[in-house]
Formats: sequence, C-alpha cells, structure tokens
Amino acid sequence: MPRNILLFALALIVFAPSLLFALTLGDSVSTADVARTIGSRFSDSIAPPGGATDDIVWLLRIPRSLMAVVCGGGLAIVGVAMQALVRNPLAEPYILGISSGASAGASLFFLGLLPPIVSRAATLPVAAFLGGLLSVTVVYLIAREGPRLSVARLLLAGVAISALMGSITSVVTFASPDPDKIRTVLFWLLGSLGGSRWDLLAVPAASTLVGGFVLVGFSRQMDALLTGEEPARSLGVPVEGLKTILILIGALVTGTLVSATGVIGFIGLVIPHVVRLLIGVSHSRVIPLSFLLGGAFLLWSDTIARSIFPSQDLPVGVVTAIFGVPFFLALLRRSEYRFG
Amino acid sequence: MRSQLVLATFLATSILFGACNPTPTNTRTATQYTDDLGRSVEIVVPVTKMVSLAPNLTEIVFAAGAGDRLSGVTTADNFPPEVDTIPKFNAVPIDFEAIRTLEPDVVLATDQVNSPKDASMFESLGTPVYFLTFSSLDDIFDAVVTVGSLAGTKRRASDHSTTLRQAVMDLRDRTRVIESRPRVLFLIGEDTLFGFGEGSYVHEIIDAAGGISVSANEPLAAPVFSDEYVVEQEPDVIVGSFPPDVDAGRLLELHPAWRTVPAIQKGRVYAINPDVVLRPGPRVVEGAYRMALLLHPELFGDSAVTSSR
Repeated sequence: MPRNILLFALALIVFAPSLLFALTLGDSVSTADVARTIGSRFSDSIAPPGGATDDIVWLLRIPRSLMAVVCGGGLAIVGVAMQALVRNPLAEPYILGISSGASAGASLFFLGLLPPIVSRAATLPVAAFLGGLLSVTVVYLIAREGPRLSVARLLLAGVAISALMGSITSVVTFASPDPDKIRTVLFWLLGSLGGSRWDLLAVPAASTLVGGFVLVGFSRQMDALLTGEEPARSLGVPVEGLKTILILIGALVTGTLVSATGVIGFIGLVIPHVVRLLIGVSHSRVIPLSFLLGGAFLLWSDTIARSIFPSQDLPVGVVTAIFGVPFFLALLRRSEYRFG
Repeated sequence: MRSQLVLATFLATSILFGACNPTPTNTRTATQYTDDLGRSVEIVVPVTKMVSLAPNLTEIVFAAGAGDRLSGVTTADNFPPEVDTIPKFNAVPIDFEAIRTLEPDVVLATDQVNSPKDASMFESLGTPVYFLTFSSLDDIFDAVVTVGSLAGTKRRASDHSTTLRQAVMDLRDRTRVIESRPRVLFLIGEDTLFGFGEGSYVHEIIDAAGGISVSANEPLAAPVFSDEYVVEQEPDVIVGSFPPDVDAGRLLELHPAWRTVPAIQKGRVYAINPDVVLRPGPRVVEGAYRMALLLHPELFGDSAVTSSR
C-alpha cells in the first residue's frame, strides 16, 4: 500500500514541473512571465507581461497543455475501460470504430458534403462527434444478442465498421477537387494539439472528468469482469448493464477527444499496461494513475514535438509512438506481466 | 512610370501566350539530355507531341512558344484558355493508358507532384520523361528555354524568358527605394497554416515585391506553422491563397491569439490568386506585381490597384 501512495505522490510531483516546463519552453517565455500571466487573471495588482507573451501563455500554451493532459488522461482511462470490456490486452479506445467514424464525419464536413451547422470552427468537432457516435451505435446494435452483448461480435463489428469508415474517408478525400482541403483533412487525421483553445477545452475536459469518476465508481465491478462474465455474474455484478456503461463512457470520452484533437494513437493502448506493470490490476488504482500517467505522457510528447520544431505544429501522434514504444517494450521485457 | 510597370505585368503574362510559330525543321534526331534530376533521357528533337503532367508545366510550354505541340494536359489545367481545346487526362494518379494513347515524344514532369516511380512506368512504356525542378525564379525562366530547345522554338523561348526576367528586374528596381520593408508571412490556407520554408521561389517573389519573407529561413521546405510562430514573428502583412472573403477579422476568429499581430491590428491581410504564386510558371511575374500592389499600393496609381484586384 505505501508503494501505491508513493506512486500517486510521484505522479502528482511529476505533473507540476512538467506543466511549468511545457509553458516556459523556448526563449520567449520565462517562469516569471507565466506567474504574472496567471496572476493577472486573479488580481488586479499584478500586471500581465507584454502583449504577445501574455497571449502566448494564456491563449496558446495553457489551453494546449491542459488539452494534452485531458486528452492523454482521457484516452488512457478509456483504454482501461475497453480492455476490461472485451477482456483483451489489445483493446484500445478506437476499437469500437469511434476514431474512424469521427474521421469520416470530419472529412465529409471538411470537403463540403455536410453543411456548417454553427460556425465552421465549431461545426468540425460536432461532425466528428456525430460520425463517431454513429459508428459506435451501429457496432453496439450488431453486437446485441437479445438481452446480452456479445464481446466477439463487438470486436468484429468494430473492426468492420472501422474499415468501412476508413474507406469513406479515403473516397471523400480522393474525390475532392480541392487540394488545400485535402491537406487540412490529412493533417487533422494525424492528430494535433495545435488548435487547442479555451472554448474547445470545456467539453472534452468535462466528459473526461465525468467518465473518470464513473469508471472509478465501477472499479470493483470491472475487477470482477476481468475474471470472466460468468464468474462476475455469480459475484452479483450486473454484467450487461456494466458493459453498456463502459461503451457509453468510451463513446462519450473518445468521441469528444477525437473531435477536439483528431486521432492520437498509442496512449490508450499502452498507458494502461504500463500502469498495471507498475501497480497491479486493481481498477481503483489503475484508473486514476492511468489518467495521471497518460496526461503527463501526452504533455511531454507535445513538449518534445514543440522543442524539435519550434515554429511548427508537428502532429503529436508521431512523437507518442517514437518515444513511447521503446520504453514500453523495455518495461514489458523486464517485468512479469499479468493482464487479468 | 507607373503605367509602364503595370504594362510590364501584362506583357509578361498575356503577350507570351500569343500566336503560334513556324513549324520546326524537318530533320529530327535522337539526342541525349540530362534533366533537372540528373537523369539521362533520350528524346527525338524537335518534339512534335508533348504531354504536360502539371498546370505550371503547361504554362511554361506556352511561354516557350510551343503550346501547339501539346497533345495532352491534366484535368487541373485552366490556363491559358487554349488548354480547353487540348485532350485532358487525370494526373493524380496518372492515367498512363490515356497518355500512352496520345503517343507523346516526351512527357514533361516536375518532382513537385510526380514521383520517380511514375518515371519508371513511362520508361517501361517507351515514353521519355523530362523532369523539371523549381526552387528559384531563375529555375522557372530557365525551364522556358529548356522546353524551347526541346520543341525547336529556342529563339522565341529565349526572348520570352528574357522578357520575364526583365520584368522581375524592373520590379526590383522599383521597390529598391523602399526604406522600411514590411515583414510578410505567406500562408496556404487560413485554418491549418501551411507555408514555405527555405529553398522556395515564393520568398523571391516577396523580396522583389518589396517585402521581407518571414519564413524564408525555416528549415523544412513545407512547414505547418503554429499559432505561436505567427504571434512571435509579428508579420506586418499576411498574404495567402485564401478564399476571397478572408480578412483580418476572419483570421482572428480562427486564431484568437493573433490579436497582437501587426497585420491583424492594421487589417493588412490579403488573399492572392493562388495560380499566380503557387504555380512555378511564367505567371509568377504577375504574382510578383500583384504582391507589390498589395504591399506598396503607393508605388502604383490608384487605377492600377483596382484593376489588379
């Protein structure tokens, strides 16, 4: 037990300097600038730093860093939920077709085949979210067998819908006459934290927090589910209801995250395993620590991406895999790993 | 003075695409050429049938006085108007069957859009491919001469090439006197910020037009800029291949953090016809003059400003 408390303390201690490092990267922003920028929002006696610096910290870096934490953490906890749902270590947030559905929705909108509902910037996330939701709904309906939900059907339908949605995205992109829009779609598909803004942060943050608390609340039932559906049922777990809740949480959190940042891979698959390697399989510990580790990992990945190419928006998904995979493989090789 | 400058723009663009030229001599010989990628190509010259794989190459062929040798152009071609009468094929991906049917003596390609894989496919079909590369304005003007020498219209092509070069030099002379050059950021697209890094002729266009290209020394050739980059660089003017309705307010809506950027504050955000800047062809000269009109309208008469926009 002290080991777990220590790990949690460590995770929290890692966070503060990570955030500070992300915010002060480069020559233009100092720690004092960050302090004054934030301080001036709460007290009139503190003057904000000069115009551009204040905007860089408050309008760009803070929302971007928070989006990294929310997105990394959210994808990690949905990864935990999906792995518990299908009792398979290869499960990740995108298995139910959410990412490919969101991509199809986004590309249909980008290329003008869906009308802008509100403003253009606000409609893209909506189109992506609806695409993801449609995919999950179809997968869910196909996987239902009477009152029960077949996990095997769920996985297969997810793979099939992903392929279908991927084809739709390709066809739409291929048929588009406008090369500028194609570039924008392709860039979006790679996943980037570049467009993070305060107004785009609220929905993903709220859904991730809600999802996180609900999952922690069901952590004992998820522990039981890992032992198998029949054993879980004999322990009094309402298995079918739990599966539906896990899918709903997965769809809500993944859908809102993908619509905000595009598809960022690797985190949802790997962070839960890393956490289990560190502290075992109990979900009451795995879920919170996955959130912290996933958030910190994406924050660092983005910071690394920004320091390699300071003037550019390098898609962060590129970095997560390059730096994360060797670490994960080393950890996998050294430890005795238990999934369930 | 002012009218001369504007006239030069029209000279550079319209006259070059003028009438046809006499037919080439009857003697045709197989000749070894080395193209811009250093590939060795055997072409029977002067060529009578050419195919262009990109719109800028088509414009270069017309500028070389060899437009009547084009037996095929891409579906993306829209200039000069004569291209409407030439058979068209899909260039992305390349419709090899359609091009084979046209039986061209040479296919003109550019490494901007065509891959070496395409070249080996053409080679297996027995069609020579000549690759052209464009990283400076000189490359574009040289290409006009190169195409002229392939088509047997070299004199005419050289003359046109010289006219184009001269037009750019005239513009440079005109903008040389400007003391405070604005910092210009050129963007492709207003949402995702694609731009040009080092080794692009676009910086030369901005320089000739009397501006300083902000991204001229960015290490990647095709960067995607972050919002932070734009805020830090503080460009005085933002020019881009935007839809015509994009202005400072629209950019601020998409990028709220840009409110301190001088170009946004002064409302100096301009959309420019992408075809005259993004196509490395003869119309880059028109692009340079249009850019100059945007950056320094005071150098030109009021009438010139309105007619150009």
